[in-house]
Amino acid sequence: MAERHELVNEAGEITRDRPWIFRTYAGHTSARASNALYRKNLAQGQTGLSIAFDLPTQCGYDSDDPIALPEVGKVGVPINSLDDLHVLFAEIPLSQMNTSMTINGTSMWLLALYIALARERGESEAALMGTTQNDIIKEYLARGTYIFPPEHSLRIIAEMYEYCLERVPNWNASNVCSYHLQEAGATPAQELAFALSTAIGILDSIKARGHFDQAQFERAVGRVSFFVNSGIRFVEEMCKMRAFVALWEEITRERYQVREAKYRRFRYGVQVNSLGLTENQPENNAWRILIEALGVTLSRDARCRALQLPAWNEALSLPRPWDQQWSLRLQQILAYETDLLEYPDLFEGSPVVASKVEALMTEARAEIEKIDGMGGVRVAIESGYMKTALVRSMTERLTRISRGELTVVGMNRWQEGLASPLVSAADGGLFQVDQGGAQEALSALQETRAERDPARAKQALEALKAAARGGENMLPASIECALARVTTGEWAGALREVFGEYRPVTGIDGQRLGLEGERVAKLRARVQRYTDERGRRPRMVVGKPGLDGHSNGAEMIAVSARHVGFDVVYSGIRLRPEEIVASAVEEGADVIGASVLSGSHLALAEQLMTLLAAEGASERIQVVFGGIIPQADIPALEAIGVKQVFTPKDYELMDIMERIMSLLDAGGVSPG
Amino acid sequence: MAPPGVDHSHVETLVARAALELHRGSVAELINLFEDQRASARPSRAVALAALGRHPARRRAVFIGVTGAPGAGKSTLVGELATRLLGAQPSWRVAVLAVDPSSHLSGGALLGDRTRVRISSDERRFFFRSQASQTALGGLSPASYDVCRLLEGLFDCVFVETVGVGQSEIDIRFLADTVYLVMTPLGGDEIQFLKAGVMEIPDHVVLNKSDAKQAARRAYYALKGSLGLARPEDADKMSVFRTSCVSGEGLAELSEHVASRVAMAGDEGAQPPKLDREAYFFERWAVREWGQRGARYLDRELGGGRQLLARVSGYDAAQQALEAGFVAHLTATRTS
Repeated sequence: MAERHELVNEAGEITRDRPWIFRTYAGHTSARASNALYRKNLAQGQTGLSIAFDLPTQCGYDSDDPIALPEVGKVGVPINSLDDLHVLFAEIPLSQMNTSMTINGTSMWLLALYIALARERGESEAALMGTTQNDIIKEYLARGTYIFPPEHSLRIIAEMYEYCLERVPNWNASNVCSYHLQEAGATPAQELAFALSTAIGILDSIKARGHFDQAQFERAVGRVSFFVNSGIRFVEEMCKMRAFVALWEEITRERYQVREAKYRRFRYGVQVNSLGLTENQPENNAWRILIEALGVTLSRDARCRALQLPAWNEALSLPRPWDQQWSLRLQQILAYETDLLEYPDLFEGSPVVASKVEALMTEARAEIEKIDGMGGVRVAIESGYMKTALVRSMTERLTRISRGELTVVGMNRWQEGLASPLVSAADGGLFQVDQGGAQEALSALQETRAERDPARAKQALEALKAAARGGENMLPASIECALARVTTGEWAGALREVFGEYRPVTGIDGQRLGLEGERVAKLRARVQRYTDERGRRPRMVVGKPGLDGHSNGAEMIAVSARHVGFDVVYSGIRLRPEEIVASAVEEGADVIGASVLSGSHLALAEQLMTLLAAEGASERIQVVFGGIIPQADIPALEAIGVKQVFTPKDYELMDIMERIMSLLDAGGVSPG
Repeated sequence: MAPPGVDHSHVETLVARAALELHRGSVAELINLFEDQRASARPSRAVALAALGRHPARRRAVFIGVTGAPGAGKSTLVGELATRLLGAQPSWRVAVLAVDPSSHLSGGALLGDRTRVRISSDERRFFFRSQASQTALGGLSPASYDVCRLLEGLFDCVFVETVGVGQSEIDIRFLADTVYLVMTPLGGDEIQFLKAGVMEIPDHVVLNKSDAKQAARRAYYALKGSLGLARPEDADKMSVFRTSCVSGEGLAELSEHVASRVAMAGDEGAQPPKLDREAYFFERWAVREWGQRGARYLDRELGGGRQLLARVSGYDAAQQALEAGFVAHLTATRTS
């Protein structure tokens, strides 16, 4: 008889658990470079692939589209056609690979390409394993790579479930993400409620379509998986995981009458928190990542199925291969050196844990009911309810950091420290994007276009549009598009024609910063003085040029500027530089604040400055930048006329406002 | 502070570039001038209007008021209408002036979501400008009328979109040639508006977001019924449009209606007399700038806004006259 602290297998022998799947979110520059990276990572002991696509691929543009050019190959691999996918998976056997694709707006297209790849390579479609992220709700809320309106996006998700259930049974058609919600400021209860409401929205729409009988529907419920965040408050995070498991059990049993236990299981992967990683004393992030990993591995009953970790330098730049390897080593030490996997659940019976879990569940249930009452997740998106709630949580978080109520070591406490040797290497501890990498994608794209059968491609696109209009499942037509060498931009363009493009609510209306006091009063007085001297309030256009969808920073700047008395124009993400400049000129703005986190700040700054000059407005309108911008790039930005650059270490909103006000007071002369 | 001298040639260059090619930067700078409510900006404004009045490319805009509660879809609707007008009338220039609420706390404002108006930034016959209400009541900004005096000479059609709080949007009644009230079928708005007395403002009503068919039909008839109660004397002259910016339903009909209002501008008498509009906003300005005493002075000593405006040449001159007269009056009453 085994002791209670031992794990035993079916044969009654003492055993240990198999570790979770180790993943590294990777991909950059070109299909060829990314293929080499994947093969190296797999040789290193990585057990699954997590593919990062570049923003044009995620937003449905070809690499040579003007809005795409600055972003090609920056945050992931560019995929324009099936030819690129052949290169990406060269010498990687598909049937043995668990492939996770972080793809949303164009999820159906990437799955179609993957299936088409299997067909052309003579591998079995049914043997494909993996996940398309395909959670459009969190894209509207936090990540920004949506394309179509909610109604049509939910249809795409449902059709992928319907296709995959029988034909690609080991494929997770979508992966409900609470990860990005926490990055956007969600509290644990919001993370629980919004993610579960999203899953409910997907399942309700599948159910309403009526393509599945109850047995098939239960299997579809069993295919729903989750992608969760894990923050620095790791005890609470561990409890959140247990709450997820229990709530999902409740929902699948009571709401959907799922009888088989295995289809009610909460299956989830994790990426730990990036929001709390700091640019100041970046070496501290290594400890944060370790602690956050514990939150999702310690409790056996709520342990993640797959884990991917950020790198210590994510607040500085994109990670280098070495940085990712260092994070992978953390997982290997945790799984293989420690005794973690030898025990049953450690927290079973703990009254503290049980009570915390219960409290989170109660709060989350109330929120789920509220969203239900509104008419479900689609309505809560369209009305802006969820977005507004997240922006409010983020505003509160930053207010607490500013007031010192929330300690962030190295940022608002113990800021003084010895210089870090990690950033003193020749590359500054940063990833250097290969600026020539885009060229390869562009030539491959031209080649594909030149060599394909244009009639077949055209016909495939027409069939896709017909399916979209006629309500048929669009995946078979998409697979034919893939085989016909239709490109990513053409596929998305055809569906944009049918469904239109969506612009969600920005969520900043009515937000208040909880900051008052002398500093704010002084700033308001300065703004008033400026107003009296010029007969009008200072005006700021806050813009997100290009395809990068990380809007937290821009939202906080817009809210702060209004808080001190600016008139602010903020129109959300994905604007062409031409649109930002046109609005700044027409609105008579004094300053443009551009926010870029994708590494494309130099190219986008050049475009903005050129357009401003063409309007004759370079002198009248000042330009400041914010985002993940390496210190080494600041001189280059200043050289083309950017007056101030804000990076994650500038977390004090009132500091930023003071610097912008000083710039305006000095009539555009940068105050040192 | 003494008014600085007016840089005539600079203002005239701005006007010429604005009138000829609708040069964006010049239009924007001129609007800045008309938004500046200090007395020091008055002479430049007079120069600009005189130059514009002489300019051969001068237009004579029709003002289309769009009012209705937040969330009724005003911005998107205005964007759709502007797109259609620009498409149907290759020579027309169209502007949107969108008013948004200012914060009572900081005075700052979040200005209109320009991207709801989905017109390419390459379209040079279109101009979009936001204004902060500056916590003024009435649904417009204190500078709205001044800016409209400028836009009138530069565009063929100007949409003025109000804050949309409902209660006190009477200003738009005086500013616009035609006012459309935008409502949604699901909001139960028709009852709210009846209560709030807002039904007295519009010339026509738009039931937007009518993609919810059943609800739209129900709301349509409910509205027709309540209009008969609220406006017994002219309910039959009011059109009720059903539109959906999702399906495109009803947009062609509504934009043709708007276009016909603009085209009618040539017919004398089709528009409210200019003097009524000027006098209304002049009196509003007088109260804002000089308080109830100033308004009484205007009434008793100068015979009211209408008479003063008829006597002196133009709005700016009337402001000058009231200011000079009232300051002298104050000084006199103080010394006597």
